[in-house]
Amino acid sequence: MNPVYIAGAGMTKFGRSEWSLMKLASVASLSALHHANLGEIPVDGIVVANMGAARVNRQTALGSALVDQLALYPATAEAVENGPASGASAFKVGCQAIASGMADVVLVTGVERMRVVNGLEGTDFVASLAHPEAEYIYGVTLPSLAGMFARLVMDRFGVERKHLAMVAIKNHENGTKNPYAHIQQTVTMEGILTAPEAAVNNPPIAEPLHLFDCCPVSDGAASVVVVSESVAAKLGGPKVRVAGIGQATDTHAVHDREDPTDLKSVRLASEKAFSMAGVGPSDVDVAELHDAFTILEIAESEAAGFFPRGEGHLALERGETRLDGKLPINPSGGLKAKGHPVGATGVAHFVELTWQLRGEAEGRQIKDAAIGYACNFGGFGNNVVATVLRREA
Amino acid sequence: MGAKVLGAKCTSCGVVSYPVRSVCPNCRAESFEDVEIGGKGKVLTYTDVYALAIDYETRYLRLAIVELEGGQRVTGQLLGDDPKLGKAVETTIGIVRVQGGKEIRGLQFLPV
Repeated sequence: MNPVYIAGAGMTKFGRSEWSLMKLASVASLSALHHANLGEIPVDGIVVANMGAARVNRQTALGSALVDQLALYPATAEAVENGPASGASAFKVGCQAIASGMADVVLVTGVERMRVVNGLEGTDFVASLAHPEAEYIYGVTLPSLAGMFARLVMDRFGVERKHLAMVAIKNHENGTKNPYAHIQQTVTMEGILTAPEAAVNNPPIAEPLHLFDCCPVSDGAASVVVVSESVAAKLGGPKVRVAGIGQATDTHAVHDREDPTDLKSVRLASEKAFSMAGVGPSDVDVAELHDAFTILEIAESEAAGFFPRGEGHLALERGETRLDGKLPINPSGGLKAKGHPVGATGVAHFVELTWQLRGEAEGRQIKDAAIGYACNFGGFGNNVVATVLRREA
Repeated sequence: MGAKVLGAKCTSCGVVSYPVRSVCPNCRAESFEDVEIGGKGKVLTYTDVYALAIDYETRYLRLAIVELEGGQRVTGQLLGDDPKLGKAVETTIGIVRVQGGKEIRGLQFLPV
């Protein structure tokens, strides 16, 4: 397998956007292409990640649409739909093209424009990933799966609402240091949990999860340019190697899992990614996790191998996952503050990690970050892609 | 869906899949017989969800995963007040969603 490098990364600001789906995708793509500074080197192909455009934007064949926007024909073009893991799946497809030798330069762009529909429609389009007969028909939505998961984890491992709030406080703080983050506002323990007005500020969404345990609904796009070793050598500059990718699946219905508190797919995907990279969780300098709900940051930090099972909330409490901690988690603000345009999220993880590993994450730079890890959590854990990136001299 | 919720019992090893699938996860056989899903059980976890999908006009829905006697787990709507982990319930079939005027029946859990 040939080595794969990330040569450029860029994104739009996440949030509510008036831009069309293709405008979002184009702006992110061009910022990544400019960052890569390819000069005369041609783009061989593009891969677009998206989950809901067919339904919420009434647009399909997004690869062909973006290749036209960017006037990159006759480059190859396709779109990948893999639920909330679409971003990292599309990235994997791009990396496979490079690793196999079929391409030297591939643009991977994740995009979602989901604020165009009302909240019920938006929630329903994401809920359509649930099992149609055993979950969806009952009114199961992603927040409800997260709420049921949170209640079990909290009961079993002593996680309290204050720990969930600590995730939100940390990620909102990080988000204010990221100009691309949707929410630019810090929150306090008093404001969302302990003061009397917290009940109003932070209403329940899916008990025991409240508003500030859930990511916002965002529009946005993120892009990276992946290249072969020969192209990376021509470009010069800092080199970010795609050191390992692992993917694992699990049962469609959450109730079907042997232990519904065990994020087995995160564990297996991470083990594969670390094994391919030849490093372990303790080597990681910076991690971007899929905190669509605060409880997931805690649970994923354990399943990825950073902390023992049932102790992620204790590491959080000790400050180990803050920007100045031993293992900073979600310096970008995470889904919680940066936002979650579903198809863009997995790619945005790589954008943040690329900036971190190149020393370009102004205002939130992790000193000497050399190894980055990302977890893109699809379904409610039924399809997970874990990735390890490494800076090379 | 009719008035019953059905799982698939593998004709080779007897393991029940719910929801149904085309290959038995236990022995990889591909032949099944229908088996009715339901009975008594305990609440494994639950939530009151306010982030609702389309088709619901209520303020919130109370959803649960229940572990039935024998170990089969199911997702459905929890009825009654005072939900608790481990609460004893039994299944009934009720209208769980109305989609474009069509009533969809499925599992609901009644306190015993």
